Amino acid sequence: MDRPKIGWFCTYTPLEIIDAAGLTPYGIREDSGKAHEDVYLGDSVCSYVHSCLGGALSGAYDFLDGVVIAHSCECMRRLYDAWMFKQEEIKPKRVFFLDVPRVKSEPAMHFFAKQIERFKEEMEACYGEISRTSLINAINTSNRTRELIARLNETRKKDYPPITGTEVAQLIKKGMAAPGDRFNQELEELLAGLNGRSGDMDRPRVLVYAGPAYGRLIESVEEAGGIVVCEHMCNGLRQFGKTVERDDDPILELSRRYLEKPPCPRMIGEHSMEGLFDLKRLVDEFKVDGIIYCSVKFCSNMQAGWPLFKEELQAGVPIKFLEGDMEAGINEREVQSFIKKLARRR
Amino acid sequence: MAYEGIIEENTKQREIQFRNFAAAAGFSEEIVIEAMKTRFAKPWPELTASQKRGRLLSEQFLACYNKTSEGEMKYQRVAWRSLFMPTEILYAMDLMPFTGEMAAAQLAMSGLSVARLETAEGSGFSPDLCSFIKTCAGATLEDIFPSPDIIFTTSHLCDPAAKFATYVSRKYGRPEFVLDIPYGVWGCGSQDIEMKKIDEAVDYVAGQIENMVEFITAHTGVKLEEARLREVIDWTNQARKWFKLGNDVTYDKGSIATVKRGSKDLDYAANLMQTWGTREIIDVYETRYHEFMACENRMKSSSKPRIVWGHLRPYYKNDILDYIEEKADIVASQVNFIFWDELDPNDPFRSIARKTILNPAYCPLQYRIDLYTREIQRGDGIIAFYPKSCRHFHSGARMEAEALKKAGIPMLTIDGDCIDNRGDDFLVLKTRIDRFLKSLSAVHPIERGETFKPTSPPSGSEPGDDEQNRVMYSPVR
Repeated sequence: MDRPKIGWFCTYTPLEIIDAAGLTPYGIREDSGKAHEDVYLGDSVCSYVHSCLGGALSGAYDFLDGVVIAHSCECMRRLYDAWMFKQEEIKPKRVFFLDVPRVKSEPAMHFFAKQIERFKEEMEACYGEISRTSLINAINTSNRTRELIARLNETRKKDYPPITGTEVAQLIKKGMAAPGDRFNQELEELLAGLNGRSGDMDRPRVLVYAGPAYGRLIESVEEAGGIVVCEHMCNGLRQFGKTVERDDDPILELSRRYLEKPPCPRMIGEHSMEGLFDLKRLVDEFKVDGIIYCSVKFCSNMQAGWPLFKEELQAGVPIKFLEGDMEAGINEREVQSFIKKLARRR
Repeated sequence: MAYEGIIEENTKQREIQFRNFAAAAGFSEEIVIEAMKTRFAKPWPELTASQKRGRLLSEQFLACYNKTSEGEMKYQRVAWRSLFMPTEILYAMDLMPFTGEMAAAQLAMSGLSVARLETAEGSGFSPDLCSFIKTCAGATLEDIFPSPDIIFTTSHLCDPAAKFATYVSRKYGRPEFVLDIPYGVWGCGSQDIEMKKIDEAVDYVAGQIENMVEFITAHTGVKLEEARLREVIDWTNQARKWFKLGNDVTYDKGSIATVKRGSKDLDYAANLMQTWGTREIIDVYETRYHEFMACENRMKSSSKPRIVWGHLRPYYKNDILDYIEEKADIVASQVNFIFWDELDPNDPFRSIARKTILNPAYCPLQYRIDLYTREIQRGDGIIAFYPKSCRHFHSGARMEAEALKKAGIPMLTIDGDCIDNRGDDFLVLKTRIDRFLKSLSAVHPIERGETFKPTSPPSGSEPGDDEQNRVMYSPVR
């Protein structure tokens, strides 16, 4: 029998706690197509949050037992408010709220560990005790996923990657909804199939820097003749980067992993700059020809982060800024002209 | 760069920046200095509270360019701060706060913000971003703001402000310190959990404040003297007492707005101000209180609807407030609400942390709604001027209005902008204001002084907690 599912929105949600409680974490990433159902949050909230709330109000997530809303940013704060405000009309009744620090520091790790501990207690109150063994097992499963994704990404560093960005995106989308061990099995089979294989795609190589899954962005790049080799996105490196260390205090190690992983633009101060500088490494390792910086409209963190990004990232490759709405999509012509430009530079 | 190098660089740079600032206003540096001297000629005791506040802020602004009010040069350590950063530690360590958002409001009042907005937008700052921050960005790009010695930001309420601090840090090559503020310490759990969360949050932030002191010492060489911090905290406490007394007069004792315009009181924006921890602000707030008391005798009985103002006002030249005040009295405001207890000089870091964390604007919306329903007097209405570029306030407006309507509190949300008047349409707004005030008159005075009971107790609190909570969390006083 399928395990009950708990929806999550932000990559700072420690999925291991959900898994250890005997539930399946379900990443709400896809466009629900129901953003218009949300008439509560006003028109200055990002389309991802509109999509999530609209989806909840129109029954798109009725199969979930509950959701965990992490305090990622201004818009997610309001998603929590709206979810509570319309709770009577939304089927998943259990709503867990998790505060997440916006800096990476030792005090922040200890503070976040307390929040994770509280989240664990709240889950236990609903679903029964989470034993240390089940938590360690959940950490091992998640770590295995991260290791397999890292191996998959290694193959994409080759001159001729054996897998396209579109294929990876589809795979990850599937993985977001599946139990970890099943996803791991699929990844292992895929990697075995890719072993020794090489692609034949001599195309402009693109790194996408964006938020949650963004409609047809990756397909558009590849239809225009490029290949996406790296995603610094909420369903790319930000979700799968860095494993949890095995230690006596698994909650603290979870906290450490989540705050040290490749940073979302929500992070501020020094850590956000570390993320920016790390992009240079990624550009070199993945032999990137160009970067697409794709901001969901009304995402303050992506929008306010852009001027710094373009001024500070001396990666030596062209960067294209795109802005759009999750439901309405992006301007594909802009993508096409950027890929043409990259092709001419090769 | 060694700190001596920063001082040398700032000294040269601020001279240029002051000239740039004067030029942006269309004047020469000399004319601006002369204008300042004239403005400062009147003796301090003869000034009204509002003039004293203006003088204090002008002197602080000039000091950030190394200029005294007499036009002399004197190097001043400058700390750029975001709007919600506490100031007591800064004053205790001889750092002059420079609040970008306040400078942006000043530019808007002088008609100088739109050019800065255009500069920012032309350089990659999205038109959707907060216009306070965009104005700061434009001014930074045009090099008209004084370069900082050090930069401080908090993580709460405003995402763009926190991101912009890093931009400023890189732009000027100055160190940045982030105070990370937990969210949801109240309103997300039972009372026991709430208390535990507050304690955890206070510990976390107090520890960061301690690190902040070390950070300042490491970068400027200034050490924190305990006696000096006690003095600053005492000044904050005294100023708090006078401001709160003034609020009690305006809100409880009747409509001061019949004698003094309530909209002018919005300019104190006390809970955002950078002046907490100065000696002068005590006198400003004491003068304000005495002015209110003097008005008491002259107060006419007003039959106008009473308005509680939400968020800030438009700072550019506009007719909105004049128009509203022809028909209604603005008797209280969110930005003048003194939400924190007295700071404890024996436990300064923890009490500053507590003050910073318990900002009621930074809590789940339902909690804010409960505060309003608990405190607002029957018959009063809320006008919330929410900038569309502010995700924090604007995106909650519909839910807030619906919930308050159910509780019998009328609310009008004006989708405006405090700084950017490019989309200003007074005529459309006027119709909505008319309609709202008319509906308010219809429900107006029922029984003065009676407050609503909360429709439901705030999450986590027990019946009977109201009195205890009211002392700390009153939203309008």
